[in-house]
Amino acid sequence: MSFKRPIQDEAKPNLTPMIDMTFLLVVFFMLTIDLTTKEYVALELPYARMGVDDEETPIPRLTVNLLPSGDIKFKGNVWPLATGQPVEQRAALIALRNELQRLTADPEMREPDKSSMIPVMIHGDRDARWQYVQWIMQICAEPTIGVYKIQFAVKKPLGEEDEPQ
Amino acid sequence: MAVKIPEADETEMNMTPMIDIVFQLIIFFLLSLKFKAVDRRIDSALPKDRGIQATQQFVDELPMITVKLFRQNMDDPNPDNQNTTIKVGNNYRFELPNGVWEGTLDADRDRQEKYDKVFKDVEAAIRETWEKMGNNPEAKGEIKTPRPKGLKVPHGDVIRVLSTFINVGLGDVKFEGAPAPMPEAGGGGMVTQGG
Repeated sequence: MSFKRPIQDEAKPNLTPMIDMTFLLVVFFMLTIDLTTKEYVALELPYARMGVDDEETPIPRLTVNLLPSGDIKFKGNVWPLATGQPVEQRAALIALRNELQRLTADPEMREPDKSSMIPVMIHGDRDARWQYVQWIMQICAEPTIGVYKIQFAVKKPLGEEDEPQ
Repeated sequence: MAVKIPEADETEMNMTPMIDIVFQLIIFFLLSLKFKAVDRRIDSALPKDRGIQATQQFVDELPMITVKLFRQNMDDPNPDNQNTTIKVGNNYRFELPNGVWEGTLDADRDRQEKYDKVFKDVEAAIRETWEKMGNNPEAKGEIKTPRPKGLKVPHGDVIRVLSTFINVGLGDVKFEGAPAPMPEAGGGGMVTQGG
């Protein structure tokens, strides 16, 4: 007597839920990705022949953006200096001071002389007023903040792009 | 007896796991990618042992090469009529080109050539002033932006002067402070070391 063996169906798992979940994960990571470039506002940096290549600093720096109009953009906040109204300018600078105080408060980031180890980069437009840069530097130098490492973001002059410094 | 040799099936490689891994790698490198937003910088250090006010007397005793910057016609609403004047010591005076940077490559190249020309002279003037001091290694640079015309000097011009100082070999440059419209902010001088 012969039995007919039933044809074994290949078990096919349903892939749809897995793909759904994978796409959800991809979307989640895309939305939460921290692109450090968002620290920098697109602006025209000053040209400078002297300058070092911008390597990553051992201690992450804070970047203060200074727009050509004179507005300060720092950590997602915009504080106007360009209005020329001393009241608004004072409010902007006090806001910057408070934010810098908060970000440099960590006692582990202090040197023995109480100055801060955290560098601050001034990422300023070449057409922004120097006066505003002076104000930002003065706030950095205040004893409660104690930032003394200042970096100026600059650009290689045109035609010098490929030359190593 | 004849045995029929079964035809060899063409073995097909299963590509799916490879593609999976490749995608994983792509995602990993995409996530770990960091864009470089700034290609160069000038490092400097503010004086940390002295208060803003105390700096003034200390640096005044040292031989100083002073560069002053002014913005001409700063109240003219048309920026094309404005330009920056650079004075090295009391003897040299240079005028930077009028107007602003256009942002287009050709216009900027043109403008930069004019800038380069002026700054070549500025550099020569700084060198000469320093030579008159006997190339004193203690000499410091100083960038002043006196009120009121100094208030509107653009950041780019000052940085260019700073870069020129560093180029000459004077890495120790003092900036003049500007009175900020806020309480407890000093208006004294400050020193920074470039380079």
